[in-house]
Amino acid sequence: MLQYGQKSFLIVDDFTDFRTSTRSMLRELGVRDVDTADSGEQALRMCAQKRYDFILQDFHLGDGKKNGQQVLEDLLLDKLISHECVFIMVTAESSQSIVLSAIEHEPDAYLTKPFNRLGLAQRLEKLVQRKTLLKPILQALDRGRPAEVLAACAELCKQDPRFAPLCLRYRADALRDLNRFDDLEKFLTNILASRPQPWVYAALGSLMHKRGQYEQAQGVYEQALKAFPIMPGLYDGLAEVLVAKGDNKRAQHMLEEAVRLSPLAVRRQAALGKLALDNEDYEGASKAYRHAVSQGQSSRYKSAESNLGLVQALMNKNAGNGLDARTRVEINTVLGEVAKEHTEDQGLQVRARLMKAASLQQAGDAETAAKLTEQAMQRLEKMDQFFSVDAALTVAKQLKDLGQESAGTSILKGCVETYGDDPKVMQSVAKVTDDPTVLGAVTEAVDLNRQGVRSYQGGQLNEALEMFRKALSLQPKNISIALNTAQALLRIGGESPSESLMQECRNCLNSVAGIPASDSRFDRYRKLHVRVFGA
Amino acid sequence: MSRDEQGLDFSTVIASTVHDMKNSLSALIQAHDQWLARLPEQARSGSEQGVVEHEFRHLNGMLVQLLGLYKLGINQLPICPDYHELEDFVEAQLAAHQEVIRHRDVLATWRIDTESPLGFFDRELVASVVANVLTNAIRYAGHTLLISIEEEGEQLVISVNDDGPGYPQRMLERQQDYVQGIDQQSGSTGLGLYFAARIAALHERNGVRGRIEIANGGALGGGLFRLYLP
Repeated sequence: MLQYGQKSFLIVDDFTDFRTSTRSMLRELGVRDVDTADSGEQALRMCAQKRYDFILQDFHLGDGKKNGQQVLEDLLLDKLISHECVFIMVTAESSQSIVLSAIEHEPDAYLTKPFNRLGLAQRLEKLVQRKTLLKPILQALDRGRPAEVLAACAELCKQDPRFAPLCLRYRADALRDLNRFDDLEKFLTNILASRPQPWVYAALGSLMHKRGQYEQAQGVYEQALKAFPIMPGLYDGLAEVLVAKGDNKRAQHMLEEAVRLSPLAVRRQAALGKLALDNEDYEGASKAYRHAVSQGQSSRYKSAESNLGLVQALMNKNAGNGLDARTRVEINTVLGEVAKEHTEDQGLQVRARLMKAASLQQAGDAETAAKLTEQAMQRLEKMDQFFSVDAALTVAKQLKDLGQESAGTSILKGCVETYGDDPKVMQSVAKVTDDPTVLGAVTEAVDLNRQGVRSYQGGQLNEALEMFRKALSLQPKNISIALNTAQALLRIGGESPSESLMQECRNCLNSVAGIPASDSRFDRYRKLHVRVFGA
Repeated sequence: MSRDEQGLDFSTVIASTVHDMKNSLSALIQAHDQWLARLPEQARSGSEQGVVEHEFRHLNGMLVQLLGLYKLGINQLPICPDYHELEDFVEAQLAAHQEVIRHRDVLATWRIDTESPLGFFDRELVASVVANVLTNAIRYAGHTLLISIEEEGEQLVISVNDDGPGYPQRMLERQQDYVQGIDQQSGSTGLGLYFAARIAALHERNGVRGRIEIANGGALGGGLFRLYLP
């Protein structure tokens, strides 16, 4: 039998009896270091203080609490456990937890209650053996070095090719992290040809999606759902592809399926709310957003967007009919939460106030609505962060409805300046205004930017830089143009860029410092920022 | 989305009650184990103890099966196949039945005769089938039982064999009816076969589905259950 004397264990379960009996089983196995927690929240705090070798996590920890899956995600994403830690999900019934689990984070094993000492000992021993076998891979994962993961996998497969299937997933993830997309595609396609698994389909679908191959991605997910119709994560992937293709109706339908299988998923409910809102299904939107808000309380994926979305859906649902007392109370509560929890976020403060004003106006209280609008406008003037496109469009419309049309127009102008190089954004803006001073503002800069990109790709760096500079002087807050200019400057500057060049780079990045973290270019901005500012 | 607003659906009531019953049974079993550990050695054995252990396992297996059948009925039983070490899988099944095996004084052994140490299947689902079959085999076995895993062509075959009187002739003759759920009077064993066959069939590869087979004989001469996984 293995020696557990030096190993640390954590038992997480909301039932005292269960904790006690598991602890005594472990003691009988020679374990000395056993801690217990009665909730996921407590488990996370304990894992932040101490590195555990083994975690026995009960899946269901009571309504309104984090479940075992959420705890596992938090532990992994916050790097509170090593990949060498043995994480066992204890369930009364595993099919439920499998449906509720996310494809990307799986426990090392499930252990079904009831179990006895021998059963526990047997599982632990085998899992330790497996972790020992995979040790070089797991250590490379902890170091965050995908190239080393691949090397370790290759070494293991050479040593004992019989265990090669245990490496498949590590290899796929590493290829993805190394951006070796062609290799990854070949690798995944080969697995699918012999032994299809849900995660393989999900990885291939998301790869195709990322490359913009929407048709293929859709095909992959549809094939996946034929083989694994009860995996909610696959519906999520298909819905994302359908959104990219503009088929919001079917996307909503997919997420409704996923929610039916697995309603406990904050991000899924929020995505469903947004789709339903776009599709003018206000009943469905309120319901989904309401779930997202209430489940968000115990989740790392809690987001103020769900609160704002819920209010929007409730208002649209009752459009033309005022708002009843119960709805007003709900609106007050969810908006109050946003204002209270995001005191530092200027954008959210403005949006929550305007949303409140809009609801008051709908409820017939024009006076208070005007007062709140006034407050929001004052904050708006001092705001230096950019709204996301969706937020800007909503805010502009609300300002207009609240009698502040010119403020609304200037929000739209700002939005066009920041995002106008994206034709999709321009289409959305054109839906809410036909003002030529808004719609026509970007044409020249966007053309220049496009020419700049072409020159850059053709290796004409100086020519590209000139185009970008001209474009930026026309639209100094355009994210794409500013990032392109900075990138061209750095490329020209080479190993030792001059001080004036660096200063220009800093100016470029400063002018778009308001970029929202939700923007798809935020990563690129962060990377450039690190190179230019050193942090 | 109208599903939530429908009235009381009896199968859902059963499912959620079974879920609670399972939890309650788990607590009962673990408390019993602890209590047993505190008793003097002499008081720990005895035929009553064997009955208790066996019926615990039996109840638990039936509840798992009932939940599984409910989920199959509403098309919500997920299958999530993966590679599993066969030795680990078999040892885990025997470990779960250790108390009953000891009290019934049965010698349980296993043999794995495959090229790869890994098999590809849904561990939890196949485990629930094997658990039920084991409970049965332990009950009917004389003194020995054997779990073996081997390959037949491209298929993995998990067998449970005992040295008891074997399946009744009528059951062997009508096994296809049980498997298809046609025979309603067969009681829990028939239901068990139906469940096992459904789980087997969820495993599919290139158009070939898994299946089950019962027979009498094998190395030990008694009941022989075989699960084929493509």
